[in-house]
Amino acid sequence: MIRGFSLIAIGALLALAATQTFAAGDPARGKTKIATCVACHGQDGNAVDPQYPRLAGQYADYLAQALHEYKDGRRDNAIMKGFAATLSDQDIDDVSAYFATMPTKLQGLEHHIQGE
Amino acid sequence: MKRLHLVGLIAVALCAASAAHAEGDKAKGRTLVYTCNGCHGVPGYANAYPEYHVPHIAGQNEQYIVNALKAYKSGERKHPTMGAQAQSMSDQEIADIAAYLSSLAK
Repeated sequence: MIRGFSLIAIGALLALAATQTFAAGDPARGKTKIATCVACHGQDGNAVDPQYPRLAGQYADYLAQALHEYKDGRRDNAIMKGFAATLSDQDIDDVSAYFATMPTKLQGLEHHIQGE
Repeated sequence: MKRLHLVGLIAVALCAASAAHAEGDKAKGRTLVYTCNGCHGVPGYANAYPEYHVPHIAGQNEQYIVNALKAYKSGERKHPTMGAQAQSMSDQEIADIAAYLSSLAK
């Protein structure tokens, strides 16, 4: 009994360790970390105020890149720097994965240029 | 009371000024986004070093696009390709592009 239990515990630990080293973004986990984002970017990531970008449906790796750039100052924005500073690399991947999976109003530019 | 009046006037003037400034022409924007298409119109196209997807811009919010292009133009936001592109754009062209792209929201 104890043996079986500890085996499960070890398994769980390994699984946890594995996800942390992989650092793949998890939308479900991201959903629990977006409380500060939604004030400007909207609960669903489709910001209503036109000065804020829509995040819903944007590429996750682009969102992650932007957050890293805000965090380290390459992209200079006082408000976003403050928020990004509180995010770990894992948080950034999770939050980016969450917004990337939300129903989007964005699309590619193909088929929308003159003469097409 | 008089002071309140003044504040109101200033607010109205500011609104008028920003509106006059940001008047974008969608039809003109449609012809201008031809250059954007080379990267932003290729599904799944990736930036190199560092590698990440070139963002979707069709359907993005208008003022955000204006701010982004002006930041690239001034050098405040750094990206070699976008910096070069934005430097060739007038404020009016930026407004036109933003008006068109934001009108494509699904």
